[in-house]
Order: sequence, then C-alpha cells, then structure tokens
Amino acid sequence: MDIDDILREVDPTFHSIPKEKQDLQELTRAWIAERSAPELLPWPPNGLFERINDNIKSQIEKVEEMTGDMDPRTNFALIVIQTELERYKYLVRSYLRARIAKIDKHTLHYLSTDNLRSRLSEMELAYATRHQALLHNHYLSSFLSSFPPQLQNLNDAAGINMVETPDLDAAVFIRLLKDVFVEGRGVDSDVTMDGRESDIVILRWSDAKPLVEAGQAELV
Amino acid sequence: MALSLPPGLTHAEVSFLAEMETVTIVPRQRLDSIDLLSGKTPSLRPPHRVDLSLWLALLLKKQRRANIVPPPWLHPASLSEIVQRETKENPTAFSEPPPVPSRPNIHQPGIAARQNNNETVQLSPPFQASCTADAPAGYLPYHWMEVAEMLLTFAGDDMISLGSAGEIRGLLRDLTEVRAAKMRDSTKTLGADGENVGGVVSLRGVGAMELAENRGFILGVVDGMRRIGASVEATRREQEEEMGGPGGGGGGGGRGDDGDDDSDEDMGI
Repeated sequence: MDIDDILREVDPTFHSIPKEKQDLQELTRAWIAERSAPELLPWPPNGLFERINDNIKSQIEKVEEMTGDMDPRTNFALIVIQTELERYKYLVRSYLRARIAKIDKHTLHYLSTDNLRSRLSEMELAYATRHQALLHNHYLSSFLSSFPPQLQNLNDAAGINMVETPDLDAAVFIRLLKDVFVEGRGVDSDVTMDGRESDIVILRWSDAKPLVEAGQAELV
Repeated sequence: MALSLPPGLTHAEVSFLAEMETVTIVPRQRLDSIDLLSGKTPSLRPPHRVDLSLWLALLLKKQRRANIVPPPWLHPASLSEIVQRETKENPTAFSEPPPVPSRPNIHQPGIAARQNNNETVQLSPPFQASCTADAPAGYLPYHWMEVAEMLLTFAGDDMISLGSAGEIRGLLRDLTEVRAAKMRDSTKTLGADGENVGGVVSLRGVGAMELAENRGFILGVVDGMRRIGASVEATRREQEEEMGGPGGGGGGGGRGDDGDDDSDEDMGI
C-alpha cells in the first residue's frame, strides 16, 4: 500500500465500483453487444455468466424462504427483490436467445474451425453439434439419400461455398470509451478519424471489432 | 426459442436499459437496506437523499415511499439553453454529451483526471450517474428522452418544482424535432447524395432512443451503399495496391493521416 492508496481511501470523491455493479455492467454490455453485432461474440470470460447464474439461483432460494414469513415490512423488500430478479432473468434470457438465434442461422460456420468453436460455451457447442447431426440425419432419410453420393454434402466448399457466413462488413454503432483513432474503410475512401471519448460512431463491424476487443469502444 | 428480433436494440429494450440509470430520491419512509443482486441498496432514512436505480425509484414512488429529485438538465432553463444551442449555435451537430466525471489530480494540481482512472472497468451509460441531482445542467444524457418521459409520466408531481409539465414537455418536443431533423440530415454525410462515401460517421451526442428509432434506416443506407459500391471499392483497392501503397489491406488505413507513411515507403522502393 503506497501513499496513493491511503489518499484514495480518505478521498470522498473516489468510489471504487462494487463487484456486483461491475458484473451487471458487464452482463448488460455483453447483451447489448450480442444484440447488435452481426456475428456471434466470444462467450464472456472469467466465469461472469456462471457467477451471475449462481447468484440468481441463490436469490431465488432466498425469495422462497422469505415468502414463508408474512411480515408486512419484509413484504416490500420481497417485491423489490423479485422485481430485480425478473430484470436479471430477462437480461440472461434475452442474451442466450440472441446467441442461439445466431448459432441456428450459421451453425456450420461456427462449427467449422476450432477458433470459431471456442466462442461457444460448452452447452451451446453440444446444442449446435446435436442439432446439426439431427438435421443432417433427417435430410438424409428424407431426400439427400436419393442424390448421387458426391452431392450429399451440406458443407461443400469447392466452387461456391455452401456454408453461409455472417456479413462481417455490416454497419454497427459504437461508443468510444477512450480517445482513439478510428479507421474505417469506405466505398470511395478510407477514413481515419480522431475519435474522442463518448463519440457515437457508425462504421463497419470488421473495422469496429479491434476497438471493441481492446476495450476502447462498446457497441450500442 | 431463439430470439427473432433483428440486430440492434428495440424501443422496449432501450427503455429497459434506461431504467438502469441512477436518480436521486428523497425517502418518505424508513426502509432498511435490501440485499439485491446488484449490491445492497442504501438504507432509507428520511429526509436524507440517496441515489438509486430508476426502476427502484419508480417502484418506491408508486408506493408513495419516496419523491424523486428531478435531474438539473430537465429544468426548463437548461432545456431551453440546449434548444438554443441546437438551433442557433450549432445547427448541424447534436449538443455535447455530459462531461466525464472527473476529480482533481493529486500529482498535477489544476488538471482534473477522470474519476476511477486506474480502474480497468469504465462506467458508461446507463451506469454513469448522469440523471442524479448532482448531474451537470445543460447536457443531455444518453437516455434523456426515456428518462424525461418516465419521470414526467410517473413522477409528474415531483417535477412541479421545475415549472409546469406543459412547458417541459413543449421544450422536450422542440428538442425531439430539432434533433430528428439532424438525424435525417446525417444520411447526407453517409453518402446518400452520391458524393464521396467515407467509412466513418460520428454522431456525437445522439440519444439512445433516437438511435433505436433510426437504426434500421441508417444501417440500411450504409449497408445498401456498400453493396452498390462494392465493385467500385474493389477496383479502388486494386489500384491502390498496384500503386505500391499497402492501401487496402486488412487494417484499413491508407489514406488521410497515413499518407506520409505511404509516400515514405514509396521512396524506399
């Protein structure tokens, strides 16, 4: 502990952000990003999602305990807790559903390389693999088996690639979190913009991605 | 099971987000701290002001357990100042977003450093306190439209201290209209008028609801222009490559500030 830490402790203007609030912000950002980005983003690191899920579970248990005693004073606290619980559950559900929608749309693409597979959580990977296997079997038994063998593949890359991929050049909105140079490719010219913090910028996702990954910008 | 909504937040999702903004309340009843998922709430002791999430503040308000302190920017004087700025002083750009919370730097007196600078996590709307009683007047926060609407609808009687609800709503409507016109005009810089189509457009100061409203249109224009110009762009990149500059490549750069670098490399060859 050096002098800075001591000064910070007595400094009334300094509030370090509590862990719970950080988690909420991270979950919210992940949700907004997943809702806005054209491709599937990596599963949140550091066990964020698992931690939030555990917290939700223990909060539900607490609600079940509290509904036992009908003291009117704890009653209001219960309403507040349940309201918040619903808000968290909505965030989690919407986040997962947005991911599943992307996985469903481009299953073969996300299963094609190890790098892309690593973006999926364990559960999502199991879901995608089984779903794809079921689908393939179904196609085989209903019509694919009557095709010549060389035409039975669903992921032919020769000639025109059969595997559909998300449009990585789709435009997105980002908010800059730091003062950074923003480089964007355009039709007639490539632009470098001297971006300032809290700028809202429209650009292609492929140009925005490095900034978002470096934590210098967030999707909005 | 899978979400069937198009990419980008919808209006309902944006207002859900806006409810995470922090506001200041004056409690009317005692209430002990509640252990929530987002941390413990401060215990309420009237008449001490506390900062809470908007959704909780509205819940307390509906139960008549608290009054909400209007944020300074919602004051008619502040709003008309912003209208003035949006229409007269800078008729093309949106007004500035609220400044980043800062505090004096111990090492460099006179120079303010941003709060929590050494934290790895950076707060941004809706977690930045831009709707509390301490928020600066004269700046519209990112969720201004939603917060103003919710406060006027559900806590209208607390906003009386500012002036008549009609006056505030009138000013808000003026703002909405002025800014909607700017939003529409911004498509000109997106290249819809057939001139130079660049890659980056800044909409500094825009609000969340305004984005949600125009997202489909703007992204449609940008993506449409890109598809139409795809062959032009490919030709340009080929030419740039032939001319020796690393131009097109993956990174993007190649023009503008990078111009010097390119010519240096040319000399080398």
